Amino acid sequence: MKLKFNSTKISFLVLFVLSFFSQVFAQSETGFPPNYYDIIALLLLFIVILVFTGLIYFEEITGKSTSKGKPSLFSRLKKSLSSSVPVEQEEEILLDHDYDGIKELDNRIPPWYNYLFYVTIVFGIVYMLYYHVFSSDKSMYDEYKEEMHTAQIQKEELEKTGTFINAENVKLLTSPADLSSGKSIFEANCVACHRKDAGGLVGPNLTDDYWIHGGGIKNIFHTISEGVPQKGMISWKTQLNPKQIQEVASYVISLHGTNPENPKPPQGTIWKEDEKNNE
Amino acid sequence: MELEKFSYDNEIVRKFGLATVVWGLVGMLVGIFIATQLFVPSLSFNLPFLTFGRIRPLHTNAVIFAFVGNAIFMGVYYSLPRLCKASMFSKALSNFHFWGWQLIIVAAAISLPMGFTTSKEYAELEWPIDIAIAVVWIAFGINMFGTIIKRREKHMYVAIWFYIATWVTVTVLHVVNSIELPVSFLKSYPVYAGVQDALVQWWYGHNAVAFFLTTPYLGLMYYFLPKAANRPIYSYRLSIIHFWALIFIYIWAGPHHLLYSALPYWAQSLGTVFSIMLIAPSWGGMINGLLTLRGAWDRVREDPILKFMVVAVTAYGMATFEGPMLSLKNVNAIAHFTDWIIAHVHIGALGWNGFLTFGILYWLIPRLWKTNLYSRKLANFHFWIGTLGIVFYASSMYWSGITQSLMWKQFTPQGLLQYPNFLETVLQIIPMYIIRMIGGSLYLTGVVVMVYNLFKTAKRGSFQKEEDAEAPPMELKREPFKKGSRHRWLEGKPLQFIVASLVVVLIGGIVEMVPTFLIKSNIPTIASVKPYTPLELQGRDIYIREACNSCHSQLIRPFRSETERYGEYSKAGEFVYDHPFLWGSKRTGPDLQREGGKYPNVWHYLHMENPQSMSPGSIMPRFPWLLTNDLDTSYTRKKISVMRTLGVPYPDGYENVANDDLTKQSENIALDLQKNGAPAEPNKEIIALIAYLQRLGTDIKGDSSSSVK
Repeated sequence: MKLKFNSTKISFLVLFVLSFFSQVFAQSETGFPPNYYDIIALLLLFIVILVFTGLIYFEEITGKSTSKGKPSLFSRLKKSLSSSVPVEQEEEILLDHDYDGIKELDNRIPPWYNYLFYVTIVFGIVYMLYYHVFSSDKSMYDEYKEEMHTAQIQKEELEKTGTFINAENVKLLTSPADLSSGKSIFEANCVACHRKDAGGLVGPNLTDDYWIHGGGIKNIFHTISEGVPQKGMISWKTQLNPKQIQEVASYVISLHGTNPENPKPPQGTIWKEDEKNNE
Repeated sequence: MELEKFSYDNEIVRKFGLATVVWGLVGMLVGIFIATQLFVPSLSFNLPFLTFGRIRPLHTNAVIFAFVGNAIFMGVYYSLPRLCKASMFSKALSNFHFWGWQLIIVAAAISLPMGFTTSKEYAELEWPIDIAIAVVWIAFGINMFGTIIKRREKHMYVAIWFYIATWVTVTVLHVVNSIELPVSFLKSYPVYAGVQDALVQWWYGHNAVAFFLTTPYLGLMYYFLPKAANRPIYSYRLSIIHFWALIFIYIWAGPHHLLYSALPYWAQSLGTVFSIMLIAPSWGGMINGLLTLRGAWDRVREDPILKFMVVAVTAYGMATFEGPMLSLKNVNAIAHFTDWIIAHVHIGALGWNGFLTFGILYWLIPRLWKTNLYSRKLANFHFWIGTLGIVFYASSMYWSGITQSLMWKQFTPQGLLQYPNFLETVLQIIPMYIIRMIGGSLYLTGVVVMVYNLFKTAKRGSFQKEEDAEAPPMELKREPFKKGSRHRWLEGKPLQFIVASLVVVLIGGIVEMVPTFLIKSNIPTIASVKPYTPLELQGRDIYIREACNSCHSQLIRPFRSETERYGEYSKAGEFVYDHPFLWGSKRTGPDLQREGGKYPNVWHYLHMENPQSMSPGSIMPRFPWLLTNDLDTSYTRKKISVMRTLGVPYPDGYENVANDDLTKQSENIALDLQKNGAPAEPNKEIIALIAYLQRLGTDIKGDSSSSVK
């Protein structure tokens, strides 16, 4: 197998590779996790390096020099980067070492290999200087603070636009669509402790008149959202969005008086919807 | 000059070769078994000794120390005498080494499933076995250096340099990482705690990869590759440069396993930069291997042995490029705790170690039995099905790792986690687990075919226990120490070589460990962090016994996606009483550092009995025996005093009343469980485990003032 390279083909190859990278870097500005594109870029870089090193040694691999006459740009590049002695002349650099029949050549260390080593060493020095000498205050915890700060600003903006429902302004939902959505949330998250029919298991019965932390949409919304960690009810606000909490709270209220079989005994105090709401 | 007659012991090579094949089959079979458990959790059959946590260390230990270990010894016992032109120093030591090593493996295969573990990855074996390992390893060392001393070849070949570095460094690693105080015959606590324990462990863990899976195999490559290809080594100078650079730099890179952890930031950065600087030294081995094949590539197409070796060396090159990339913070932030790392190590294990071993076996067995390989066709089949297996394995695990990590990190426009339920991200990658299992099975099929092929080969040949050889004695004339040939001089001086390599490998470890141990500001103390109660300590030991840390981390990184999901990120000061640390390295299940108080006691009770009752679809195995086993409190006293010896501030004489406190706390928990309908008794193991789980991370819960600056 023989491949011939000239400068035109090389330029096309370089352009082709660069076009990939420009794509990658252009996309990373869209706000998606930038790491994702870093990985693609790294993978591409890896492939490029592999192809490149492969190409450098391609002619050695076939064991024959491919071009005669004026050496092409590529073969000159290859020559300067590998600086190896061709197989045909290796007798000249054969050392007198002989270990159980294994002999050793005295080829120069490929210059490209040395460059790679130097570059990584320079990277290491620059990295340590950058993170620990010149910007010693920028630790991973500062990165974290920045990340949280950005998130906080986004959240505040959303709150201003009224996107969020909270325990103060929440309204009971009654439409079948909302309730059925509440039902599926309930079945996905709550049944492990409250049972499918809400009769109570680890957590209390949700269908009777008794409430430990207060009934009614506002109290239930609050209990679901914030949780009661010391009693084992976890806080769901990081897992369910406010709309979902509103839906599942409304669904729970809709179960009132369904009298499931084997309910857990009443816990808490009797809750009367009207009088408390009027307070 | 008169030739001296001597012989090479092929019998010991045969023994180690046989052990390689047998343990290879066992290790890989166990791997497939646990890989299948990840999508068929009922395969644990509710039996303690078949659960994933206990069996996973069996798989890793079997593959690393039994399969690869025996292959190393097979290669060393074949190549070393031939490179030294001398028979092995002592046949008795050879046999002691062989039987001792197999006994250790058997001890591991029994003690690990029984739950005797230190919890430290690739160093799980308990202290009596650690001592046995040290003894056998030293016997191997004496045998090796004895052979080198009485060699007839003036200079040591590059393969021997790698053998020496391996022996020296593994000795240091094993001793330093295994310093532990026994509580009982098969239970001990490491002297290091928390962050320091983590640093020592990953200095060890990383260099177990470096000096058990890499340097000895480079040594084997330098012997068997030129032998199989019948070509001279490409560059002697490259050998020198990449050998010394590799062993010097490798030892520093351990902290890259602890990026974004509570390890001091400067140590993390050292891990990163030394990993990057490791690319060239690692690639030196690959380049020298591949270029040695110059002029032999026409034969690579024909010869399965060379094919195996080429893929092995290429896999080595890929894994040693990928490793440094994974050490970059932004890549590590995605890859750590996911299946990506599993893919990475299997490129190394299946590709580099596995394929090089197979290449060596196909070369060696016909020579030992003085015949030709039974079937080249079958060997080619093995090569292709093995390669296919690696491709299936790696691609599915890369896919699964990246998918799951991106799901963990995804937020909704409202600023909530898109996949708040961890289980959802697990169920998403189940198909990848199935493909991985198929990949592993293909690979194992290839090995079975190899075993048949080698068996048939041996069958038709005739084995010769001793192989006669002759060589002139070593010339005793002094070699002048002159400029330009300093290394050549060193190659003739084994003792100086050992000292030089020891010094080179000690530097990195000392620079990273000494400040972490001595400078207090590296681990800021937190006043609210208190020692574990006796019951919690017992629970922690059950957590260790069941190897919960195989699948659950206890380390929350400072990312919004992690603090939203798990709670406040981990602080160095929280772990000061953790002998051993339990940060884990893989999240097959969610992080547990802030598990305390998240769920009621009864939730844990029911969840341990059957995880799927609380989390439908969960792939966690059941632990029903925890509900029925009585808690063994006879060692409470000893455990408390050992902990105090290690620096945990239990008051004087506390060990005498520790069991009273234990009973009190367990009765409270049992009462709470009974109130909530669980038929719990206070003297069961589950009570201790619940006590520990409910304590986890609560010392600083909601206390942001303790955040580290």
